[in-house]
Amino acid sequence: MRISRHIWAATAVACLTINGAFAETLKFSWPSNVGPLNPHLYGPNQMFAQAMVYEPLVKYQADGTVVPWLAASWEASDDGRIYTFALRPNVKFSNGDPFDAEAVVANVNAVLANRAQHDWLELANQIVSAEAVDDLHVRLTLKDPYYPLLQELSLARPFRFVAPSQFENGGTKDGIAAPVGTGPWKLIETRLGEKDVFAQNGNYWGDKPAYDEVEVKVIPDPNTRAIAFETGEIDLIYGVGGQISPDTFHRFKAMGTLTAELSNPMETNALALNTNHGPTEDLAVRQAINHAVDKDTMIATVLYGTEKRADTLFAPNVPYANIGLKPYTYDPTFAAELLDKAGWKLEPGAAVRSRDGVRLSIELCYVGTDAVSKSMAEIVQADLAKMGIEVTLIGEEESSIDARQNDGRFGMIFNRTWGAPYDPHAFVSSMRVPSHADYQAQLGLHDKAEIDAMIGKVLVSTDERQRQDIYRQIMTRLHDEAVYLPLTYVTAIAVARPELGPIPFGAMSSEIPFEKIHPKGM
Amino acid sequence: MFAFALRRLILLVPLLLAASLVIFLLLRLGPSDPAMDYLRLSRVPPTPQALEEARRMLGLDQPIAAQYLDWLWRALHLDFGNSYSTQRPVLPDLLYYLPATLQLAGVALVLTLGISFPLGVWAARYRDRFPDQAVRLLAFFGVSMPNFWLGFLLVLVFSVYLGWLPPMGMGGWTHIVMPAFAISLMSLCINARLLRASMLEVKGQRHVTYARLRGLSDISVERSHVLRNALLPIITATGMHIGELIGGTLIIESIFGWPGVGRYAVSAIFNRDYPVIQCFTLLMVGIFVLCNLIVDIVYAWADPRIRLSAEGVQ
Repeated sequence: MRISRHIWAATAVACLTINGAFAETLKFSWPSNVGPLNPHLYGPNQMFAQAMVYEPLVKYQADGTVVPWLAASWEASDDGRIYTFALRPNVKFSNGDPFDAEAVVANVNAVLANRAQHDWLELANQIVSAEAVDDLHVRLTLKDPYYPLLQELSLARPFRFVAPSQFENGGTKDGIAAPVGTGPWKLIETRLGEKDVFAQNGNYWGDKPAYDEVEVKVIPDPNTRAIAFETGEIDLIYGVGGQISPDTFHRFKAMGTLTAELSNPMETNALALNTNHGPTEDLAVRQAINHAVDKDTMIATVLYGTEKRADTLFAPNVPYANIGLKPYTYDPTFAAELLDKAGWKLEPGAAVRSRDGVRLSIELCYVGTDAVSKSMAEIVQADLAKMGIEVTLIGEEESSIDARQNDGRFGMIFNRTWGAPYDPHAFVSSMRVPSHADYQAQLGLHDKAEIDAMIGKVLVSTDERQRQDIYRQIMTRLHDEAVYLPLTYVTAIAVARPELGPIPFGAMSSEIPFEKIHPKGM
Repeated sequence: MFAFALRRLILLVPLLLAASLVIFLLLRLGPSDPAMDYLRLSRVPPTPQALEEARRMLGLDQPIAAQYLDWLWRALHLDFGNSYSTQRPVLPDLLYYLPATLQLAGVALVLTLGISFPLGVWAARYRDRFPDQAVRLLAFFGVSMPNFWLGFLLVLVFSVYLGWLPPMGMGGWTHIVMPAFAISLMSLCINARLLRASMLEVKGQRHVTYARLRGLSDISVERSHVLRNALLPIITATGMHIGELIGGTLIIESIFGWPGVGRYAVSAIFNRDYPVIQCFTLLMVGIFVLCNLIVDIVYAWADPRIRLSAEGVQ
């Protein structure tokens, strides 16, 4: 009797194993469902999920270089206007359709058919045509020798590839039938408000992921996410900003038994100081502000050490940004001297400096529901109050803050760089667009037009040395003029159970490298 | 009785119209620009051209009266537009999430009634003695404690420390018990105290004294003469509790990862997703008003005095 029971049990285990019932699932969470996963559209499609299913021609690396991906190699014409890509052979979409030159051309044309939607991305404006040379060669023709072509091709969207058999109405702007890509994962289930499930793509050309499935639970609340992690409902917390509060990260790290890591700098969180409005028109005031804010204390108290001190607008690990700019050190005495010299005097008995009857009072605008920004703004307010600078905090809804960025109604405003691979080229490019806070903040500089011209020049420069030189001039100019108060370099966080092994960070904040997570013993 | 119900139903129409107007105007009184919200949620950079295009597409370039009438006309055809953030039609999504919310609120209602009745009767039976004091203390905590805080405390104790119940998600009864209890505690405490007060009031009336004089047992007097007459205010309160319970799901669903309309609405409010907020608020108004209507009907059925006065009988 006992023997037969054992035989039954063994048979059952064998059947379960064969049926894949012991499939290893990595449980993750995200604030919303991943969306219909159209590779060529924006919200509600979630970028990290688009990057799981769809792949680029070239892949961005942490050191700022790009390496072959769906394109095995590429060649640029001498004038830098024509790029020919040799595609990786034997790549298939997850439904078995071949990935070939025709598929690439169809996808690029689908993106260009909706060009107005992508006009924020210079590459969409630069591509004149895409042609299939043969089955495995594609030629892209550009208007100008636009050097960031490769960086922008590596973005999570829009230049990634869905099987053309899934197009609706001959394109993708009206939607797609199903999210069929070439990436390591395919979406197999979506339950609104509950979860999305990804499984391995059996046709994947690259290394097979260690996990069979990734289950992404919908958890909008950061506290609930932390509890879900503590109780084993999810295995991994990963993301840039807001996934869990800084103090929760600090608590997990202090436990000592969990993997709790910070990535290298991904983006810069800065305040743009308006050179065209109020007291910040004065260079001395902007420089004094840069010397007066104690960022280290801010990071230790508000951010629990989860971010790193920023001394320049771009971190030194950003391409072309390691140019040795001299940081504005924390030096309140020097800040006070600068203000005194510029005529901003503190009258006896007054708490706020003034000059010619004008009070040294500045508005600092932030998104009211963002508790971390609010706390950071309060520290800036307190530090500047010690200098005799009055800071009025304006916490408003996100769209109101966007509107202020749009039309320059701010003294200081929170402003983030865009991260890799947008930094520095796409971010500086946006400084020329009036709807950006950077444009508005720089408008008071006497040589704004020259700066914009330099930006235009650097984007179409084909000479690497010249490009580095122009970037140096732009970055130095903005740094010397103290147009920004760089606060922190934002990092991605990863918290995981130790069984998951080390958690690698993606080169871009928009991608989560699930396929590189190898649990111990697998 | 039928005429009474019909009259109340007809009154629903102007009430919903007025509510829709107030909701529409209130949303537009805020400082934010719906076109900017639309672009932000669609992840499209707000260039002047994009803003202009969004304003035209959303009809924001029309006078506000025209915007309202247009929205109302579509709403009458059950078209509440697409969500700015998910780009999906609002009504089907709300209806998709609604059953989960009704399930949660339903279980919370059962808990409210199922626990408050014995507590109320117990407290009334032992007036000013230990059970009464215990219920009073519980009620004091129950009405003072915000439900989201209670929710986190429950998760901390039963999920994190004891590991007995799942902290989030939707599944079997183990998933629903904590969120339902967190929503219902306040209502059940109020109900218990109300029932106690109502029973004590009825207990002092002459018909109860007469019943005792007739030699009826304490249990029989309590059940047939006290409790039945004490139920009338409870019916009214229950109608209000249903509204409270559905309203309570708003925050609790976010905490417990419960895929209902509450969580959908909270995300929409944070994002200023106008079409979702408008449709959700109108749906809630409809549910509140319907619940009150049902309560009024039950009340009229239970108490002939109401019914007869409504029908004009002196």
